[in-house]
Amino acid sequence: MGASLPPKEANLFKLIVKSYETKQYKKGLKAADAILKKYPDHGETLAMKGLTLNCMDRKTEAYDLVRKGLKNDLKSHVCWHVYGLLYRSDREYREAIKCYRNALRIDPENIQILRDLSLLQAQMRDLVGFVETRRQLLTLKPNHRNNWIGFAIAQHINLNPEMAVQILGAYEGTLEDSYPPDNERYEHSEMLLYKVSLLDESGSPEKALEELNKKEHKIVDKLGLKEQQAELLLQLNRLEEAKELYKDLLNINPENYGYYEGLQKSLGLSLRQAGTQSEDGRVERLVELYKELAELYPQSSAVKRIPLDFLEEGAFKFAVDVYVRPFLRKGVPSLFTDLRPLYKHPGKADIIDELLTQIEFSLRSTGTFPSSLEQESPSTILWVLFLLAQHFDQRRQFDIALEKINEAIRHTPTAIDLYLIKGRIMKHAGDALVASSLADEARSMDLSDRYLNSDCVKRMLQADQVELAEKTALLFTKEGDQHNNLYDMQCIWYELASGDSHFRQGALGKALKKYLAVEKHYNDMVEDQFDFHTYCLRKMTLRAYVRMLRFQDHLHSHRFFHRAAASAIRCYLQIYDFPPKAAAEEEEAAVAGLSTAERKKYRQKLRKAEARARKEAEDKAKEEETNVSQSKGGKKAGQASKSVDDDPDGEKLLHAEDPLGEAVKYLKLLQAHSHESLETHLLAFEVYLRRQKILLAFQAVKMQLQLDSDNPDVHRCVIRFFSTMDKLSAPETSADNLVRSVLTVERSSLKNFGEKSLLEINQSYLDVHHAESLQHRVAAAEMLFLLEPGRKAEAVSIIEDSVNSPVSRGAAVAEGVGQWQLKDCISVHKVLQYSFQDADAASRWRVRSAELFPYSTYFHGVRSSTFGEAHGSRPMSNSSTTTIHQGADVLDKSTSHSANGLINNLKGLQMK
Amino acid sequence: MVCIRQATVDDLLAMQSCNLMCLPENYQMKYYFYHILSWPQLLYVAEDYNKKIVGYVLAKMEEESTECHGHITSLAVLRTHRKLGLATKLMTAAQTAMQEVFGAEYVSLHVRKSNRAACHLYTETLGYKINDIEAKYYADSEDAYDMRKTFRLKSEKAGSVDAKSDKAVPEKKSPSEGRGGVGKKGLDSSGIRRGRNDKAEVKTTAATPESGEHDGKEGKGGGGT
Repeated sequence: MGASLPPKEANLFKLIVKSYETKQYKKGLKAADAILKKYPDHGETLAMKGLTLNCMDRKTEAYDLVRKGLKNDLKSHVCWHVYGLLYRSDREYREAIKCYRNALRIDPENIQILRDLSLLQAQMRDLVGFVETRRQLLTLKPNHRNNWIGFAIAQHINLNPEMAVQILGAYEGTLEDSYPPDNERYEHSEMLLYKVSLLDESGSPEKALEELNKKEHKIVDKLGLKEQQAELLLQLNRLEEAKELYKDLLNINPENYGYYEGLQKSLGLSLRQAGTQSEDGRVERLVELYKELAELYPQSSAVKRIPLDFLEEGAFKFAVDVYVRPFLRKGVPSLFTDLRPLYKHPGKADIIDELLTQIEFSLRSTGTFPSSLEQESPSTILWVLFLLAQHFDQRRQFDIALEKINEAIRHTPTAIDLYLIKGRIMKHAGDALVASSLADEARSMDLSDRYLNSDCVKRMLQADQVELAEKTALLFTKEGDQHNNLYDMQCIWYELASGDSHFRQGALGKALKKYLAVEKHYNDMVEDQFDFHTYCLRKMTLRAYVRMLRFQDHLHSHRFFHRAAASAIRCYLQIYDFPPKAAAEEEEAAVAGLSTAERKKYRQKLRKAEARARKEAEDKAKEEETNVSQSKGGKKAGQASKSVDDDPDGEKLLHAEDPLGEAVKYLKLLQAHSHESLETHLLAFEVYLRRQKILLAFQAVKMQLQLDSDNPDVHRCVIRFFSTMDKLSAPETSADNLVRSVLTVERSSLKNFGEKSLLEINQSYLDVHHAESLQHRVAAAEMLFLLEPGRKAEAVSIIEDSVNSPVSRGAAVAEGVGQWQLKDCISVHKVLQYSFQDADAASRWRVRSAELFPYSTYFHGVRSSTFGEAHGSRPMSNSSTTTIHQGADVLDKSTSHSANGLINNLKGLQMK
Repeated sequence: MVCIRQATVDDLLAMQSCNLMCLPENYQMKYYFYHILSWPQLLYVAEDYNKKIVGYVLAKMEEESTECHGHITSLAVLRTHRKLGLATKLMTAAQTAMQEVFGAEYVSLHVRKSNRAACHLYTETLGYKINDIEAKYYADSEDAYDMRKTFRLKSEKAGSVDAKSDKAVPEKKSPSEGRGGVGKKGLDSSGIRRGRNDKAEVKTTAATPESGEHDGKEGKGGGGT
């Protein structure tokens, strides 16, 4: 390095490198300039100066200098290395790898460069390259622990755990028996546990256990040791020993459900094998086991809760009774959440219903629990009512639920949790507005509780009160001079909820902004792993490290990411179908139909909003300026300038040139990471049909059929696909011809289609799902209308003749309650309104639904907060295309207008 | 009712959600990674019957300090899951791991002066004492109590950490463990104590909850063998 320089300059060069490493950039810069004064063309100095400037966030200069330096000294590994570091700092890992490789061509045994290369290979999952680089590092420096471990890790993640074991074994061979010294005990212990997990993974549980037992005295993570031993014993079918060990673990932590599962497995009683009810005496043996465990761990709640899963009927009722009493006495708010999974077990909801009714009756009449003499405190009935309200909510008996929660509130108006539950019931019943104001009331009762704030913000967003929600969230998210840290803190739930609300209100730019923010967070998380490739080798937390790598490989299948990507695709589909107008046109459209006075008011409002936005932007800029001047290092200033968002409302996103191209980006991520989700393939269909990628669209249909062939949306896609194909003009090229003949063959082999016409296929779909399912009937009706627009009346009557049959006994929902759910009825209404464009039918449906759901603001039910307001049934101007836009919620402007009016009323009433 | 278990990497996203739902001090994902990849034994979660994370404790070891000790970075339980003693159970689990695995002599934490419920939990239920007051510790310039709980040395009596594990751990040594017994255990844990200056290169990983990020860059060379 700096070899070609005379001694004085060579020392200066060393100073640049040192200053870079110690982050004293100004000093480094000075030294670089001193050299360049004498040797203006010195390549390595130019490169190092560039690298230094890069850290001071002068990117353009940095690249210029580094490239110039490289040009002047192409044979210098330093220049190539620096170029690679520059790319690395910009996350351009592929380019960086190329640079490192060039550097290594010149200096093949440069440890530092090899190490840097290995990091990038790990990050990019270039596993073969990673193994190779790690092998070289070990060969060059076998006396470094990290090089052994790094090589083992590389082999492991390249799916060669056996080799990894051998490497670790060889490494251990270099250690003395007395190893480790006191200050290395933890690291060594982690290494040993990692080795055991490798043995297990490579299919040698005996060896793993043997190793574990042999090294037991060197392992400091005693809990991890026992857990691993127990698991291995189970695998090896040494059940008696496994049983003892799980009991031992339960002694340490009787609230770990995993230990109970392990214990049951060791006794051949796993709940996971629950399907095998037929096995004689299984339940009896479980009962015995938990009786015994209850004596051993009387404080454990797990021991009392688990039997509720396998007990039935009378025994179940008795056990629930015993289970709930202490929680009701104590007033545990999560009791219902805890019981909720039981509602899915056939018949148990009815038993709980019976039991709770008896408890309520007994407490009211005698002040005691059934067949008890002990007088309960007055708060017990409060928590019974609290539980009952949630119980009836779950069973969709909203009237009774509200009756119970209202009585509870009258009993103790200061209990905050009651308002949260009442809000939830109102939301389920269909009145998001009242739900929101209830959450706000709860929030106002303890302003220091962020949970109440978050719950309230969530409800406000559900009620499409976006601005109010933002203001409310701000109460907790202002941090120092920072306006709002929700984005910086990766508050994904908020971004999704806010995006959804914008989407419902047709603000697609703003919605996209939020959804893409979520995507950005996930990219950042992928980036987060970079530093840990070195860090974990040193810390030796290898089990956790490998788990992290695997977690990263599946990160994008996380449900939050899935939701964000799917929603972004929906936005782009809508932008494609209804291209946004330019601003002037938009304003024109907004004021159309308003009186002159209203227009004036509207424009004034607009101007005010603009002025406010300008002011905010200015303030922000000023703030950043002060930040910049305050911070001394160049780095911080750079971060501040990066955070300026030139598109805060997503206007640019809205005017994307190729919205379908954008959609494809996210679609590909979903296809790669959420392949099992039907939604992925429904969206793929919509995107590819619009892009006229026939075979890809068809592939999506086939995937859909494979995942859920009876699904109404799948049926829609099938019919729409082939009906589009039927309408295509005659094929022009031989390739077209080929595609058609492939499709003809494929079609006859799908489901039971054979030679049936689309109408026949649709009819048989309807016949199969005739009376039972509203959603299936609607799909068939909609497709009938699509295929034969002349049979509209018939299609509408298929929908209108649907019967809302009552739920039968034994289900989660109460006996006699109608099968139809509010969200289904809303989607039917939208079909009638937008697909059929049949205002009369839509209005009839509204009346019918309003009766079924009196709290629904959507249907303006009699008990809803929008009762009496005119329902927005104004048809969309160009909604003919929406016939086929399944899942693409269309903006219903009039509804959101009326809602906004009401919000203001509510605000006046509720704010204290 | 609620499962208390060690957290894994797969829980981190849910822990972050839980934190954002109920606490004013929040951290970026990288800070959670940093914790679990540094002290995987010190993170615990509370998971309800619907597999939802309803509480967690995020703890660390202060490796720069003169005395080996743990620190509670963050503790949260959703409001909906109060009154179940989850915070106590989570804290107890993390504290036990600090001593057993890392040989901590005491554990420290910060708490808002105004947070009476939390102060009560720490001082009354968990046995913490106020060590100091840190003026304007929080972003909104509220003061913090710096609290500490000293662990009794293991060698005095094995496992006498606190009421819960005291009862549970020592008396039930299973035969399969083979080499149970107080003496052995005492020897082990007294030897775990982590050196103060064993890791010069760890220094640059100084991360504060306030900044929510850490600088994972390392110095040259690894711990040589």
